[in-house]
Amino acid sequence: MGQLVGCVTVELDDLEERITELRGEIRLAKAGGDDAKVRRLRAELRKAERAWDDALEPDFEPDDVPLLPIREQVHQALTLLGVPSATKMIVAVNEAFFAGRVTTTQLTSLRRDEEKSFRSSPYARPYYLCPALTAELLSPARGLLAISTWPMDVRIIGPLSPRTGFLTSAIRVAEHITRLTGAGGDASTEAYRLLTRMARNIPGATEGFGRADPARVISAADAELVVHLESDRRHRREAAERATARLNEVTRLFGAGLKTASRSAS
Amino acid sequence: MSTPNHRLDALRGDAAPVDHNARTIAALAGNPGCDRRAVLDAAGIHKQNTAVHLGHPAPFGQSPFALARARSFEELVKADGCAHLLRLLRDTLGLSIPEVAYTDIADVGGNAAHQLRHTHTRAELRRAAEDDERSCTLFDHPLLKLPVAGHEVYLEPAVIAFQIGGRFHIVEIKSFAIIDETADSAQVAAASRLSALYVYALKALFEAEGIDPDRVSHEVVLVCPKDFANHPTATLLDVRQQLASLRRQLSRLTGIDRILDRLPPDLSFTLDQSPAELARAIRTVEARYAPECLSSCEMAYFCRADARACGSLDALGRTTRDDLGGLESVDAVLDLVGGDLLASPEHAEILGQLRHVGAIYGEHTEAKAVAWAS
Repeated sequence: MGQLVGCVTVELDDLEERITELRGEIRLAKAGGDDAKVRRLRAELRKAERAWDDALEPDFEPDDVPLLPIREQVHQALTLLGVPSATKMIVAVNEAFFAGRVTTTQLTSLRRDEEKSFRSSPYARPYYLCPALTAELLSPARGLLAISTWPMDVRIIGPLSPRTGFLTSAIRVAEHITRLTGAGGDASTEAYRLLTRMARNIPGATEGFGRADPARVISAADAELVVHLESDRRHRREAAERATARLNEVTRLFGAGLKTASRSAS
Repeated sequence: MSTPNHRLDALRGDAAPVDHNARTIAALAGNPGCDRRAVLDAAGIHKQNTAVHLGHPAPFGQSPFALARARSFEELVKADGCAHLLRLLRDTLGLSIPEVAYTDIADVGGNAAHQLRHTHTRAELRRAAEDDERSCTLFDHPLLKLPVAGHEVYLEPAVIAFQIGGRFHIVEIKSFAIIDETADSAQVAAASRLSALYVYALKALFEAEGIDPDRVSHEVVLVCPKDFANHPTATLLDVRQQLASLRRQLSRLTGIDRILDRLPPDLSFTLDQSPAELARAIRTVEARYAPECLSSCEMAYFCRADARACGSLDALGRTTRDDLGGLESVDAVLDLVGGDLLASPEHAEILGQLRHVGAIYGEHTEAKAVAWAS
């Protein structure tokens, strides 16, 4: 930091010297009646003065800062997906549809911050980004993010939920692409790449190596989803009832782990 | 009369024992004839430090790049609720569409203690084995336990897959590529040894739970990147042979006292003695060096130097050694060919082969000399 300040000072000194020199030269040229030279020198003086201004207050902000804060972007991606999702999927959706620049590393601290914020002043924010809860122990599921305003049973992860979640998100992504094309625009290449990547692992959703067709992905994913949906819902509903009955307002959002007791005690 | 465990502790001295892991046990099965490795491992001696003390450090370790690559490939295979894995298992094992239930045992309610995870694994697997109706299909991060030479070793296979046919399969995810349906044989051999160990541990767990151990399949699903892309592909690997050799090796480890009985009672492998003394102590335990040891055993460079110094045929590889069965050293072979050693009837065939090879070499060098001259 000291080095940086030193650099700026040297630059400012040089510029000030140059400005004084230029002013002197302008006076001389004016006295000599050389108007063309005066105009050229004044242009140079203005350039030097602008450089001096810039050097005094350097603009550290990059030009292309996304307009939304990270948690808003995550919220946007999760709302599109509609199910608890892994950070990688959130990043992929954010990149495909919202041209955002969220990285997985930025998301690691997010969950902890949200919990801290909720504990210090509950419900101060309209929504919180919280972990999905495992159906068995109602503890936070590893690496899966959800939104606090979703109903309890949507935030629960049962044994079948990883698969139903995957199929549902594939359908949501395909639907969003259809919406975009229907509105006259077209989805980005990244969006199609994401859809194709997901479709490869859904039976009957793709043929060959080409770009996946959204309508076909939706029907194929739906066909498999029907098989799992009923028992998955039953599982999650059971767990949600347990959660509502047994957990307090913090653990209902952020999960009850075997570690929670010691953590809250410390 | 001291128990084997006391003897092993005495061999190690004051140093803390090094725990076995899946790699070390699999490496044991890779060279079952080596008493030296069996004793050093059973005593929990730090082989890397010993090799450094002897002046033959093994210049290898696990590369951070390889580890990162392996981790990222495993993440890819398991991403999106094991989407890739389910596709592969549906192809290879014929998993039906409803079989997608997934349980992660990486922690139990946020607690990742080994004992807890192991208990949870046992409970989950028992439930799956007993109740086909509501059972889970994929068990991620299961933790198995195996007693090896009196110590409990925790083993973590990549995934255990349960199929409706009532059989459990170990799934091993490796990041070496299968190109044109062939992979590096050494890598496949290492992977199958490791998987055999998991199969063995799973069978042991089933036996302890009173479930038929034959419900663990000896066919392991190996998941690797296909060709030059990062797209996963799966093959079935039969590990019966590795399983048999592992079983023999592990029973030998428990019967380590038979080797110990042959050793002098005051033997010690502590590092406070001079390298020469330590080398002498270690040489009292017989080693069976093979060039393959270089990639799996820290003592390999020491054993190789020994094998070379005494002109042992081991240094030339297993095939050569087996072909020249009954002959101990390079000198003995040369003597036999030169006629200094009288060929006994069992060596007659070997002598014939050696002469034949000698004749071919002779013709070859002659032809070369003619080609050079013209």
